[in-house]
Amino acid sequence: MKIPIEFVVNGEPQALFVKPNHTLLDVLRDDLGLLGAKKGCGEGKCGTCTVIMDGKPVNSCLILAPRADGSDIITVEGLADGEPHPMQKAFVEQGAVQCGFCTPGMIMTACALLDEKSDPSEEEIRLALSGNLCRCTGYAKIVEAVQVCAQRIQQDKGA
Amino acid sequence: MPKIQIVGRSYPQIDGMEKATGRTRFASDIKLAGMLHARVLRSPYPHARILNIDTSRAKALPGVKAVVTYADTPGIKFGPRSDDWTIFADDKVRFCGDEVAAVAAVDEDTAEEALELIRVEYEELPFVESPLEALKPGAPLVHEDHPGNVAAEFKVEAGDVDRALANSHVVCEESFYTNQTYQAYLEPMGAVADVDLAGRITLYAGNQIPSMIRVPYAKALGLTLDQVRVVLPDYGGGFGAKMETNTHLVAMLLAQKTGRPVRHFNTRHDDFIAGNPRVPMYIDIKLGADKEGVITGKEVKVIGDAGARIVYSQIIVATACYRVDSLYRFKNVRAKGITAYTNTVPTSCFRGFGNTQATFVLESAMDILAHKLGMDPAEMRVKNSIGPDSVSVHGWKINSCGLKECVEEATKMSGWAEKKAKKRPLKGIGLSCCNHVSGNRAFAREFDGGAGIVRIGRDGRISVYHGESDMGQGQKTVYAQIAAETLGVPLDWVSVMQVDTDISPWGFGSFATRGTLMGGNGVLAASKDAFIKLAQVAADMMESNVDDVVCEGGRFYVKGSPDKSLDFKEVALNATDSNHGSPVMGTGFYDPPTVLPDPKTKQGNISPAYPFGCQIAEVEVDPTTGKVTVTNFVAAHDVGRAINPMALEGQIQGGVAQGLGWTLMENMVTNKGKVANANFLDYLIPTALDMPPVEPKLIEPYEPNGPYGAKGIGEPAINPTMSAITNAIYDATGVRITELPVSPEKLLAEMEKLKGSHEG
Repeated sequence: MKIPIEFVVNGEPQALFVKPNHTLLDVLRDDLGLLGAKKGCGEGKCGTCTVIMDGKPVNSCLILAPRADGSDIITVEGLADGEPHPMQKAFVEQGAVQCGFCTPGMIMTACALLDEKSDPSEEEIRLALSGNLCRCTGYAKIVEAVQVCAQRIQQDKGA
Repeated sequence: MPKIQIVGRSYPQIDGMEKATGRTRFASDIKLAGMLHARVLRSPYPHARILNIDTSRAKALPGVKAVVTYADTPGIKFGPRSDDWTIFADDKVRFCGDEVAAVAAVDEDTAEEALELIRVEYEELPFVESPLEALKPGAPLVHEDHPGNVAAEFKVEAGDVDRALANSHVVCEESFYTNQTYQAYLEPMGAVADVDLAGRITLYAGNQIPSMIRVPYAKALGLTLDQVRVVLPDYGGGFGAKMETNTHLVAMLLAQKTGRPVRHFNTRHDDFIAGNPRVPMYIDIKLGADKEGVITGKEVKVIGDAGARIVYSQIIVATACYRVDSLYRFKNVRAKGITAYTNTVPTSCFRGFGNTQATFVLESAMDILAHKLGMDPAEMRVKNSIGPDSVSVHGWKINSCGLKECVEEATKMSGWAEKKAKKRPLKGIGLSCCNHVSGNRAFAREFDGGAGIVRIGRDGRISVYHGESDMGQGQKTVYAQIAAETLGVPLDWVSVMQVDTDISPWGFGSFATRGTLMGGNGVLAASKDAFIKLAQVAADMMESNVDDVVCEGGRFYVKGSPDKSLDFKEVALNATDSNHGSPVMGTGFYDPPTVLPDPKTKQGNISPAYPFGCQIAEVEVDPTTGKVTVTNFVAAHDVGRAINPMALEGQIQGGVAQGLGWTLMENMVTNKGKVANANFLDYLIPTALDMPPVEPKLIEPYEPNGPYGAKGIGEPAINPTMSAITNAIYDATGVRITELPVSPEKLLAEMEKLKGSHEG
């Protein structure tokens, strides 16, 4: 009935038995107790469940759990390294967080973008974030937060 | 008094980092030991008689702990404002999505499977989708005890409208329609309900009115008020929708039946078809003006769609009839509103509460009149603008009013005069104003106001208790700022506690743009009370008079002698020890000078303070597709004194985004009684790519009734957006939009028609 999978979540190897109809999101939330990724729609349209899978942002509600076998997953809980990630700081400081339900997914998408491109244009930021819905902020402060974070990372590299 | 240090400064949300690190436990993250999972079987028909329900096979499925229908409820009719609700459909279903049965099982898969085993026999009945059809003689009745499907009627009149319109130089007579839209908060509605041995229920629900929902819920379950406790976790947005819902009662009933905690959250689909979407309205307006552009009179007829039961639609229709009359110096107004039942999803509050619909109509009509008169639409607004220290046609007392300043700033920021003067093909600019309330006396009838409790512990930690609701707007941060400012301590010494109706004051909650003014004044009063109590202890310690003691940066000192100061925490320790462990408790309330409108004349004063705003949109229209792109947007809002400017900007930008979505994208489509686009694939809301730059501007007249001079912002942020955009579309194309939303096909067709008429 259940299928064995092995994968790495936030740097920790995990070996689990999962229901084949369950999604990666179900496994993260129900089996591993990682509640940062949210279930906003369950159909891959809102982005609140976004995690990074093998370096790419994915809607974890669309990935059947057995498909996560052998993968490397980073969730919002895995970003902070002793202290909050610069993206998390930028989101909070710029007022990009209102209700916060979209925030973990939004931050994961933004981090994946900066991993790929360290100095994205505003248009590239908006395009990258367009799969993550936010109903509170109108996106202005979210885009600013990503820009601020990108600048800070650049400055830190330069220093 | 020490200078103001914390109020008026931009602070991130006090719990922002909890949210950004995924540590916040939202309502849907709650897991209790032994918790069961619920799913609801909903009606597939808009109107049908229930002949039989067979739950035996579902009950027999292993893992199923309870299956309930109407027969398992006390059968009491209830509702927030009318007794037309039952927890499950009684003898008939009244809309697609109506609750028919529910299952509690050990997991969601089992609950889902059990739903498929429930057999319901229906006899389909003729149904009615539109309020216009519903009001026609012979239309199918949604509720047999409501002949003609009339759920409610509202009338208001002041002055002599007929004479005013007859004597007008110009009159705009136009019919408008505002459609049904979905709040689209990212966390669906739901709750976890728990029950103790005495039968007392604790409901963990993301909800805007944690105290008020107890009243109809207790009634529905045949309980006394004290048997329903509500605890308010953080939750993912509300925008008006998260008030009373059967979604909560399903969890409560199943918890009663099983004796175990039950979790029930809508799937996104269920949330679309059985949430509380916006009230669609047909609005006819006649608006007159004299040669100078001074408004003479206004007549409005509103027909609103309640759906299959009343949530708050009738008050929303009433609001659409007359709230906007306090925007300008009206003298002659008349309005009639009818709220009609239909076999569609029950409708309710959505940011703006009827004033959005009315503002779209009035501000479109103002634009029409300005063009008829050859007058600058901005000038016409300023000319008619209500002013500070004035009384509106319905008796509403306007204290602070920055409406003229809002128009001036918005026009300056957008380069209005220049752009308006230069005709640019397919590019346009449009303006709209708005007013609103900061609390609604007509809604909170028993009493009005807000209350707070401020506890100072032996360790000096400050805990603020309130009864309102932070749905993400940053209410907790504003309360922390008010308490910290009043007590003279750093912001991070203050915790704003989760609302728990066993502990918190009774608050009406977060709606009507009331959180900051009403709840904030409650927290302010409680903070002052706590301060006096602690300052007395400090005065005794310093052998001084309490009136001479101040606190700044967490240190008490006697006025004029800041060098000799006492640590706030030391004073708190002393205060608690001398009271044998009792903490310093400050309590306080705010009794606003509001007046419940007279039932007949509607004269009253529904809010202690009225916010205003002016928004300007710039658009470009693609002549081949009809697609409208909003290229720039400015939004100047009179918010009273800003408590947290960054949070206010966020509210404005978010409100504009929702308004832009409504104008250009959002529409719940009903086909044969069913919502045809009940998902985020077919019901699109704005993404980061859809939003233009939105530049907010805060206009800050001191509001004497506000905490530290503040008013509200939540709803005014969206009120003018729709007409700002549609007035810009008119400027760009000559097409007057009278129906929302503006689809490219519709606009293109209208543009073709215009072209044809010009060529012909």
